[in-house]
Amino acid sequence: MARSTRKVSAIVWLRRCIQTLCLLLFFYLFLQTAYHPINRTGGPVALFFELDPLVLAATWLAGAPVPLTLLFSLGTLGVSIFFGRWFCGWVCPLGTLHQMMTQVRGGTTASRLNRAVYSPRQRWKYLVLIGLLAGTLTGLNLIGWVDPFSLLYRSLATAIFPAFNLGSHALFAWLYESDPGLGSMRVTRVSEPVYEVLRRYLLVEGRPQYYWGILIGLVFGGILVLNLWRHRFWCRYICPLGALLGLAGKNPLLRLKKDQEACNDCRLCVAVCPAGANPDGPSDRSDAWKPAECFFCWNCESVCPKQAISFEFAVPSREHS
Amino acid sequence: MKKWSDNVMWRWLLSFFRPGKGPRINLGRRNVLTAGALGVGAACLCRVHPQASGRVFNPALIRPPGAVDEQEFLSRCIRCGECMKVCPTNAIQPAGLEAGIKGMWTPVLNMNVGYCEFDCTLCGQVCPTDAIRELPLEEKQKIKIGQSFVDKNRCLPYASARPCIVCEEHCPTPTKAIWVEEIEVTNASGQKVLVQQPHVDPELCVGCGICQNKCPIKDQSGIYVTSVGETRNSENQMLL
Repeated sequence: MARSTRKVSAIVWLRRCIQTLCLLLFFYLFLQTAYHPINRTGGPVALFFELDPLVLAATWLAGAPVPLTLLFSLGTLGVSIFFGRWFCGWVCPLGTLHQMMTQVRGGTTASRLNRAVYSPRQRWKYLVLIGLLAGTLTGLNLIGWVDPFSLLYRSLATAIFPAFNLGSHALFAWLYESDPGLGSMRVTRVSEPVYEVLRRYLLVEGRPQYYWGILIGLVFGGILVLNLWRHRFWCRYICPLGALLGLAGKNPLLRLKKDQEACNDCRLCVAVCPAGANPDGPSDRSDAWKPAECFFCWNCESVCPKQAISFEFAVPSREHS
Repeated sequence: MKKWSDNVMWRWLLSFFRPGKGPRINLGRRNVLTAGALGVGAACLCRVHPQASGRVFNPALIRPPGAVDEQEFLSRCIRCGECMKVCPTNAIQPAGLEAGIKGMWTPVLNMNVGYCEFDCTLCGQVCPTDAIRELPLEEKQKIKIGQSFVDKNRCLPYASARPCIVCEEHCPTPTKAIWVEEIEVTNASGQKVLVQQPHVDPELCVGCGICQNKCPIKDQSGIYVTSVGETRNSENQMLL
């Protein structure tokens, strides 16, 4: 099945643009977290943590006075009541990285289906959330180990960025010293201007290094690799923020509607679903679409050859419980 | 004609109050209780650690300036690494077991890697949960994060009768916390030489660690910082 020829709907492209922008914003704010120039950082560098209701919940449950900036995250939570886990599908930079890793492994529809279908074990993340919050309430705040933004930021700060920084400096130093080339065509004529740009906008002069960086980096890499086994493994099975947003948005106003007549049971929608949200489930059965899992990414609507799937404002029908 | 009760918003709001109408996430009571019990159990287990008593202290547990009391710090810090990224000297490092397993990857200062820059309050500015409070520069410069001590067995003017005043020269406090005492000692070839032996005034030292960082004895310096005397903790004090 030629995936490349399939048209992708405008709303999916919109989502991809917003996801990319949010990821770039995260990286930008990360780079701005520096002495810049006199005892100031280059902007609201903790922005993503301020949008994270899990951080708010943990700080509040721990009984400490809550910094007012964290109250922005109530906005995230509020919108989730209407639109479910939109944040996971459209904003979360870690989710976007997972989405990219998920896309790395292609394969036939059948093999994708294996990695995409709903598993009851996706309930683990709710238990992770409950365990962590119960611990926080009694004086043990371990949210930071698994909060998605903490995880991503910590991994970037202590492992990925230092490794990238050291590697880049080493590479360009080696190119400069050995200067391979033919006749007057030398590599340095290209590499030195590139190095100049990188040093100006990306790299740092000091060589930040961290104890535990290797382990933190390995944990991060391992989590990314798990996407090859199950689509967005982290977001489905573990992420406590996803669980919190799922709980808030388990009865969203925006809902997937499936036209049972038009559906030809090709299951393409299931194969492209990053969330394991059962997009093909008949809406009157217990294995119906799972609003608490759905990222509202619009992949299923976009891929359906029969236009049998749509999202619309609705409430669950009264006849079925 | 449409009835007002057919309005989607209205029916949606109602659906929250009608049990059995909305979709459910069935976790199973047993699973929920197990998860909660594991969380509470782990919290109890973590108190079985001498430092959790608040009377035993780890000299290497040096928190960034503005950090709140250790118990509150652990309940606030989300180990995001913002402070580690922003620290201009790379001094803030992810903790290993300095604060117990529960404190893993929280920020601690390692003065061999860096030191606390006297004119910098960035870690407090970026901390999203106020585990490190944002302080005005003047206030931060009076905060003690630890206390520096001279190791007379390693310090050059004490142990080897060689001249050195590197730590005294770097000490950033307005009145230097390190003072030197000129003293005549006998060197290896039996000559009398004048050296300046450093001492630390605990009233003035803020524990910034630049003395340890700049000490010419690199692996284990002749002057080093421990957490005692830290402002955030009234129990971990040396002066009465």
